[in-house]
Amino acid sequence: MKILVCVKQVYVPGTDVTIDHSSGWIQYNPTGFRLNSYDEYALEEALLIKERIADTRVHAVSIGPGRTEVAIRRAMEIGADEGIQIRYEKEGYLSPYQTASLISSYAKEKQYDLIMTGVTAEDDMQMQTGQMIAGTLNYPYASSVIKLEMKTEHLVYVERECDAMRRECVELPMPCVLTIQSGINKPRYPALSNVLRTKQQKLMEIPAQDLVMPEAREKIIKVFLPETTARGVFLQGSAKEKAVELLRILHEKAFL
Amino acid sequence: MNDTIVVIAQHSQGAADPVTYEAIACAMELCGGDNSCIRVIVPGKQTADIAEKIAGTTGADVTAVEGKGLKLYNAEAYIKVLEGFLKDIKPLYIVLPHTSTGYDLAPALAVKLKASCITAVEKINHADGKHTFIRPLFNGRLYAEVVPETESTVITVQPGAWHKAVGSPDKKGRVNVITADAGSTKTRTISIKHSEYESAALSQSDVIISAGRGIGKKENLSLIRELAGIFKRSAIGCSRAVCDVGWLGYRHQVGTTGVTVSPKLYLACGISGAIQHVSGIKGAQTIIAVNTDPHARIFSVADYCVVEDLEQFIPAVLEAYGRLYSE
Ligand SMILES: Cc1cc2nc3c(=O)[nH]c(=O)nc-3n(C[C@H](O)[C@H](O)[C@H](O)COP(=O)(O)OP(=O)(O)OC[C@H]3O[C@@H](n4cnc5c(N)ncnc54)[C@H](O)[C@@H]3O)c2cc1C
Ligand SMILES: Nc1ncnc2c1ncn2[C@@H]1O[C@H](COP(=O)(O)O)[C@@H](O)[C@H]1O
Repeated sequence: MKILVCVKQVYVPGTDVTIDHSSGWIQYNPTGFRLNSYDEYALEEALLIKERIADTRVHAVSIGPGRTEVAIRRAMEIGADEGIQIRYEKEGYLSPYQTASLISSYAKEKQYDLIMTGVTAEDDMQMQTGQMIAGTLNYPYASSVIKLEMKTEHLVYVERECDAMRRECVELPMPCVLTIQSGINKPRYPALSNVLRTKQQKLMEIPAQDLVMPEAREKIIKVFLPETTARGVFLQGSAKEKAVELLRILHEKAFL
Repeated sequence: MNDTIVVIAQHSQGAADPVTYEAIACAMELCGGDNSCIRVIVPGKQTADIAEKIAGTTGADVTAVEGKGLKLYNAEAYIKVLEGFLKDIKPLYIVLPHTSTGYDLAPALAVKLKASCITAVEKINHADGKHTFIRPLFNGRLYAEVVPETESTVITVQPGAWHKAVGSPDKKGRVNVITADAGSTKTRTISIKHSEYESAALSQSDVIISAGRGIGKKENLSLIRELAGIFKRSAIGCSRAVCDVGWLGYRHQVGTTGVTVSPKLYLACGISGAIQHVSGIKGAQTIIAVNTDPHARIFSVADYCVVEDLEQFIPAVLEAYGRLYSE
């Protein structure tokens, strides 16, 4: 089997989020990047399949500028056999349709049986990319997968996590696209053997210009910080004073 | 220019879900305040009654699309049936709720219709006869204003962002029923399962003390439990992040994909306030949040905000409680 796992290097802002007014985008602090946690669940699911089905190869692909190499290498250290870097140098926002088109255009002739993504990227939170890859490749798909079983060599059974604790049970043939929800497994850490192997390996680099990349269908005209809409009261003083004040409020409201 | 706005209804157990009415309210705003350009589509099996109800409540025109392969939600079947239909109408906007069905369907549908797709919309701005859409990034730490550049745009609306639509009682929308056949699909929806978790403890509690990733380590759950102990009847809740790392079981998870709660008191410790979490506590009467980050989103819904490290703050509360309130 051949599995493609899409991994994104996301930016996780600390407590300070600042907007860079020249680029109109968030100001990156170089230490804030990491592998999207939902993609770790997708990768783990692929590795679990690899453990069960002989001759399974797991590829990790990511789109982005040079810095994304770190995330791809991380995926390889965790266990992906190969890393593919689709080089798109421009920092900032790439629309899900463009992302999906690039990945589809790369994956098209490569005979992947399964393409997996995280349910969402922690930064943009579009919840679109996987479904759009399926749309452009005309593959069946399921999003928010919280359970996955290989029924036969060609058929997967999944449970989609729905709202209010419901699950949809779905069967779909491969090739297909699955977006993976957190909690489906316990992602493993890099093993030393994989770390050493990855050091020896080269990434496959593909410039985005060599693939199909359509125009964005929507544009971000502005990003902004939400107004502080705190409607509540901030307790003042030292931790001890706040504790006493909080208890007074709880008592007054008859909670104690 | 075509100004039709299509809303794709979500329904379960023979009735439209509340999010459907919220999506219709959003469509009404896009329509300029009334329902004249709205067409609600209700895909499924035997959806005529649901269509009647929606038309009666909102005054919008409703089309029930009934047919084989539509009984349970199936992305492939839905797209097959909706694609042709929507290509004929060429709506300006197609509005769906941002739910597990809506965000499953919307992006793939947009690809088929060569439409733009904007998800998790919380607000619409109107400028120069154009609409722009406001959606969160980075779990709500930042917002983006997005403008579509296509003839058709698919949007999903964040549950709770609009109030349910109500129309004028004198005007009932027109209802028509069409039959469609999705034909054969590769994807087969087998069934819907309801979680076996026993969540009654959470949904029936007056006081919920809830832990987030900010507790830092599993051992700190003892602080949360001790804090819960000062209340007469209380239960322990948590964010999804806490379940995902295995500190607590999923039956404790509060939020859209967990339990929806409406206690008298909800005390959130080390929870950032992601929209999926906060949607689950809308019914809480009093919300208290403890978080080291003064900008944490949880503070925008809390009644009492405590900017402190819970590892120091909770022991301080326990100490003061022992001193001042316990007999
Ligand atoms: C489809 C989907 C469905 C989801 N459904 C749910 C759901 O039902 N319920 C849910 O909860 N989430 C859900 N999520 C996940 C959600 O988006 C967030 O990732 C999650 O709620 C974050 O949990 P958290 O607040 O505990 O962690 P974080 O976001 O990591 O926040 C931790 C917080 O703790 C604070 N903190 C750190 N140290 C301390 C300290 N010492 N003292 C005090 N504060 C501290 C930090 O400032 C931070 O604000 C869903 C996500 C998706 C994509
Ligand atoms: N730049 C990218 N490179 C590789 N995969 C991506 C990229 N952006 C998004 N994805 C994948 O798409 C998933 C969903 O992203 P999103 O649609 O932005 O929520 C992520 O979890 C990744 O698996």
